Amino acid sequence: MTLPILPTTAVGSYPKPGYLLEARRKYLRKQISKEELTALERRATEEWIRIQEEIGLDLLVDGEQYRGDMVAYFADEMNGFAIAGLVRSYGNRFYPKPVVVGPVGRKSPLTVEWFTYAQSLTSRPVKGMLTGPYTIAEWSFNEYYPTRRALVLELAGAIHDEVVDLERAGARYIQIDEPAIHTRPEEDFELAVEAMEIVTAGTSAYTVSHICYGDVPKIYPAMLRLAVNQLDLALKNEEFGLLDTFRTHAFTKDIGLGVVDAHSHRVETAEEVAGGIRRTLEVIPAQQIYVSPDCGLKTRTIDETVGKLRAIVAAARLIRSELTETGTLGIAEART
Amino acid sequence: MITTAVGNYPKIPDLPAPGKWRTAAERLQKGQIDQAAMREVEDEVTLEAIADQVEAGIDLITDGQIRWDDAQTYFARQLTGFAINGLQRYFDTNIYYREPVAEREVAWTAPMAVRDYEFAHAHSARPVKAVITGPFTLAALSRNQHYANRRTYMQALADALNHELRALQHAGAQVLQIDEPAICRHAQEYDLFADAIQRLLSGISAKTILCMYFGDIGGIYPRVLDLPCDVLGLDFVAGYRNWEILGRAPFSKDLMFGILDARNTRVESVDEVVAAIGKVTAMVPAERLMVSPSAGLEFLPRSVAKRKLQRLVEATRTADGTRQEVRV
Repeated sequence: MTLPILPTTAVGSYPKPGYLLEARRKYLRKQISKEELTALERRATEEWIRIQEEIGLDLLVDGEQYRGDMVAYFADEMNGFAIAGLVRSYGNRFYPKPVVVGPVGRKSPLTVEWFTYAQSLTSRPVKGMLTGPYTIAEWSFNEYYPTRRALVLELAGAIHDEVVDLERAGARYIQIDEPAIHTRPEEDFELAVEAMEIVTAGTSAYTVSHICYGDVPKIYPAMLRLAVNQLDLALKNEEFGLLDTFRTHAFTKDIGLGVVDAHSHRVETAEEVAGGIRRTLEVIPAQQIYVSPDCGLKTRTIDETVGKLRAIVAAARLIRSELTETGTLGIAEART
Repeated sequence: MITTAVGNYPKIPDLPAPGKWRTAAERLQKGQIDQAAMREVEDEVTLEAIADQVEAGIDLITDGQIRWDDAQTYFARQLTGFAINGLQRYFDTNIYYREPVAEREVAWTAPMAVRDYEFAHAHSARPVKAVITGPFTLAALSRNQHYANRRTYMQALADALNHELRALQHAGAQVLQIDEPAICRHAQEYDLFADAIQRLLSGISAKTILCMYFGDIGGIYPRVLDLPCDVLGLDFVAGYRNWEILGRAPFSKDLMFGILDARNTRVESVDEVVAAIGKVTAMVPAERLMVSPSAGLEFLPRSVAKRKLQRLVEATRTADGTRQEVRV
């Protein structure tokens, strides 16, 4: 299946249904088995696949129903990590921050089984979803490696092996999330570039890196050197203020255009989302744009999530028809 | 030599308990409890933060800043003139804050942290210092859409916060700490900074600590010694270059010596900390030292935060030889 112009997609996580939250609590208290929990995670994954198909998203995600957190999941599955307590990231959002206590590495594939399962449920493409080495390192306490660089490069090798395994399992789109990449732009950006080269080396899959918040202008245009096809960014969070940055230097990659705020309860209207896409089209050609939320939606309610995704799909369809009418696109390109 | 905390403290206990703060915050968001009920929970958790510091043996404590959503909006929401924007990364941390936007004239209308100070003071066996975010950092981490330039914006912030320091002083606070982490990254704006600090501290006679963490003071030392504060709080972890920088000129103030890493779970050994204290006393005599973590402890899980405080006290007492009475 080829994707239409302005393909609609999501960043990764969706909220967990009540029964799964309850099951996770029970599992923590050892009241249910790992198998029982996994069965419910599979059920929730299938539900999200069906919801995305029904809404009409083009490029799907598995919704990360099996993850507590985007770094802790990988830390849990790898050698070298211990789980520390919870630390706050903002408001009343907390995450379990892992501790590197020994040499890090994969024991076995980390996400392949979940990718394979999600892809088996649908004829639409599903993205393979990984957390990048810089972010895993940055969002962990390091008690073992002498430098951040040593830790990041070791993790990059492990995530590369996962990319290879995902591609072998049939993934044509692989996303490597690096929301922490601009934590130390002056000191560490070259390290992040080097790490991403290791991660995506030799892959023929279409690669995406999701980067959110922080000072994106500070790593622009340097971020265009990251070894991925697409950069997925949060535009809505600052009401498309980043477009001013993209005017300073051509956006030479594809962009995953975040058009709905992942941290606001308000559900944007399709017209509002369409307005954001129109503004972007003044700066970046339609052929380079994928339309998505700003960030993972796991902190929203299910209703809010569905509402935001519907607004994205409706807006993309609206803009596609506008582009066809104005003759900007050929009919073939605009057909969905 | 006394021990002190820098500022914030973890709001929730370790897993598996969600913690009463987090439960209450969720219920408040869902409209199941009101602000008054949330405030009671904040008071209870503040008492836990105080108890952890006092039990660890910290001489000069803070209230743990349990009520602060972040160091910027706690003040911006209470001053007039600000709207609150989207999430921004807080320096090079994994923590996010909401960006204040000055849309109108910024002004102080009522005390912001005075009740917090009075509550902590009434419930602590140890002296409490009051902490505010300084005008330079507040300006650096917010957006100015009202004032003609940074100088007038910062002056307005300094004047507003001066009212708060006066109110805290009036309420009996004997030690006032002004947090200015942003100056470590913007040394080239020292003149603006110095001007703002002078305005901020005008009419203040309480003991003042100017606290600069997440970096070193290489670009502003020794000029910073001219500022009208009593103590400089410095980060010797992220700002390890401070070791060399302080050697450039005699250190004429008291030093809040931030030596335990507030941002890593590895708990320093007593020997390591004692050695560092030995080294710093070559530049600043022991009687002018306050030993502290490098920054607020909210970066750590609570159990580790408490272990850091215990280690801080253990090491300082070992270095000191004897237990001293608190002098503030």
